[in-house]
Order: sequence, then structure tokens, then C-alpha cells
Amino acid sequence: MSFDLALRLTEILLALALLQHSAEHMTRPEDRRLFAPRIALALLMLAGIATAWVTWALWGIGLLILRRFDGPYNGGSDKMTLLVLTCLACAHLPLDIYWRELALAYLAVQLALSYFVSGWIKVINPDWRSGIALSDVFRFSAYPVSVRLRRIADWRGATFAASWAVMGLELAFPLAVLHPLALAVALLACAVFHLSNACFFGLNRFVWAWFSAFPALLWLQARVV
Amino acid sequence: MLRTLSLLLPALIPSWRFFKTVAPSPRLWWRLEGGDWAPVRPRPERVAFATMLRRLVWNPDWNEDLYLVTLSERLVETGSAHSLHELNTRIARITGAPPGARLQFRLTFVTRSGATILTEELYRSDPVEVPG
Repeated sequence: MSFDLALRLTEILLALALLQHSAEHMTRPEDRRLFAPRIALALLMLAGIATAWVTWALWGIGLLILRRFDGPYNGGSDKMTLLVLTCLACAHLPLDIYWRELALAYLAVQLALSYFVSGWIKVINPDWRSGIALSDVFRFSAYPVSVRLRRIADWRGATFAASWAVMGLELAFPLAVLHPLALAVALLACAVFHLSNACFFGLNRFVWAWFSAFPALLWLQARVV
Repeated sequence: MLRTLSLLLPALIPSWRFFKTVAPSPRLWWRLEGGDWAPVRPRPERVAFATMLRRLVWNPDWNEDLYLVTLSERLVETGSAHSLHELNTRIARITGAPPGARLQFRLTFVTRSGATILTEELYRSDPVEVPG
């Protein structure tokens, strides 16, 4: 995958993520002043019009949104969206190609770290290794989308197996960068993981935010390995 | 400027420590002054798979609920005035509390200690008049 193609794919996926996030805010009249311009700019980015300026304008609105909510509205997904936006904006700066590539490479590295670090802090916790932590997530955390889903907390075999499946995927993710096919399989598995989180825990924004960083890693893998 | 930078930096250099531990989980309750407590936007008994799929692209209420969780944690940890204002405003809209009524909310936190699930009230707001 060429640098320009990776950049364009990132723009398209990020524009879709921003449209999805922003459309949800348009149901709140008090938020429309910030999110209506964001939708207009995301449509320009999707169409590939003046993407360098549009990306920086979206980045500026991202800062205003951070101030509006005194931090991220939606935790990790807002952080990833802003990270992708920042790297994309830097990759559009009129600099030597080395620095522009470095911006996209930083995004790729952060994507790999997002899985590995998340797996590492789980695997060093005895509650995650025994499956108790995932049971707790279902039993009393704010995330399960229905009362019935809380019953999964009592399926100890399932929470144990799911804990190790998630930790295994997250910890092994950086190794997948060593081969194109392994990376494709790993990204597919991660996509299933994000979709499951969206179904069970309502974390739909994470799906689109993380998808928008995938092209950067596919490009870096082809560029380096 | 410094505040903006302090909000931006965690996005540019993220820690990615998702679910390091399963922290005490807030539950939000509301009432009109003197009335009975009720959960703010109680979660449904079940959600159909088709609804889960639709929510991949359209899930504004749930994402607002997650923001309420964040605000609740910020309020208890830092006493944030911004969080208090946001909670009062959003709870009034979500519950449809009538203008002029005096609205109050409280935060209970659920956690596990050994084999026991514990619930503790960590915050109770002063009643505020719902704006017209």
C-alpha cells in the first residue's frame, strides 16, 4: 500500500467515524453549534476536497469539543479519533516526505500499542488471568447493554476463555506485523473484537475510531517489513 | 491554553490501559424534592440482536449514558463544577422534570469485596430548580 493510498483510506474511514459520532450529537440542541460544522468538514474530507485545510479545521474543532466536555465525551474512542486526526494533519504538512511518513508511522505504532499495552495490563492482573475481572465487568460495571447480559457473569468457563482469548489477541498483535497475512488475520480478529464490544457493551464509537487507524498499520507493515 | 494542552496530551500520548481493574461503577438516581428515588434512564431487560446491530451506527442515548458515568466519576474524584452542571442539565432533560420543580440526584457506586457486591452512596446533590 502506497503512502498516498494509506492517507486517503485513513481520510475516508476517519470522515465516516466523525460523521457517525457527530450525527449522534445533533440530537442535543446545545451541541449543534460544534457538531454541525464538524459534519460539513467531514463531508468535505470524505469527498477529498481541500483535505489538508479540512483536517486542520477538524483538529481545531476537536480541541473545542475537548473543552466543551472538559475532556473526552466518549473516553478511548474520542482519544483515538483525535490521535488519528492529529497524525493525519501532520502528514498533510508541506514537509519532507520523511516527516510526513513519520506522522503516519506514529499512528501505526500507537494502534499496535493500543492492543499490546491493553493486553499487558490485563495479563499481570490475577483477576484477569482467572476470568474474575471479566465476570465483574458483566456483573456490576456500567457497560452491559441489558439486564439479561449480566447473567454472563455466572458463566465462569466462558468468561475465563474469553479473557484469555482477548489477552492472547492483544499480546500477540505486534507479532502479526511481521507478515502481511498474519496482519490481515489479526486486524480481522480485532474487528470482530470491537464489534463484540459494540454489541455487548454499546461501545459502537470505538469500532469506527479504531477502523480508521487500520490503513496506517497496513502501510507501515508494507513499508518496513 | 494550559487546560486545553492538559486535555490534549492524553490523546497524543495515550496510556491505552483499558480495564486495568474493574473500578467501582456509578449508578445515577434522581427525584423531585421529597419524592422517591428512581434510576436515570434504567437499562432494558434485554436488547434484540437487530437493535445491537442498528446501534453500531446510531447509539446516542447509550453514549450519553457513558458520558454520565464519566461525569459521575469526575464529580466524586474532583468535585468538578462542570460535571455537576452537566449532570443537572442532562438529568433534567432525560427525566422530563417539569420547569420550576426542584430536582435532586445521587450517585451510588457498586463494587465487589470478596464474594460480596457492595453499594455505597458517595454523592447527593443539593436540589436545584429546573429552568423553564
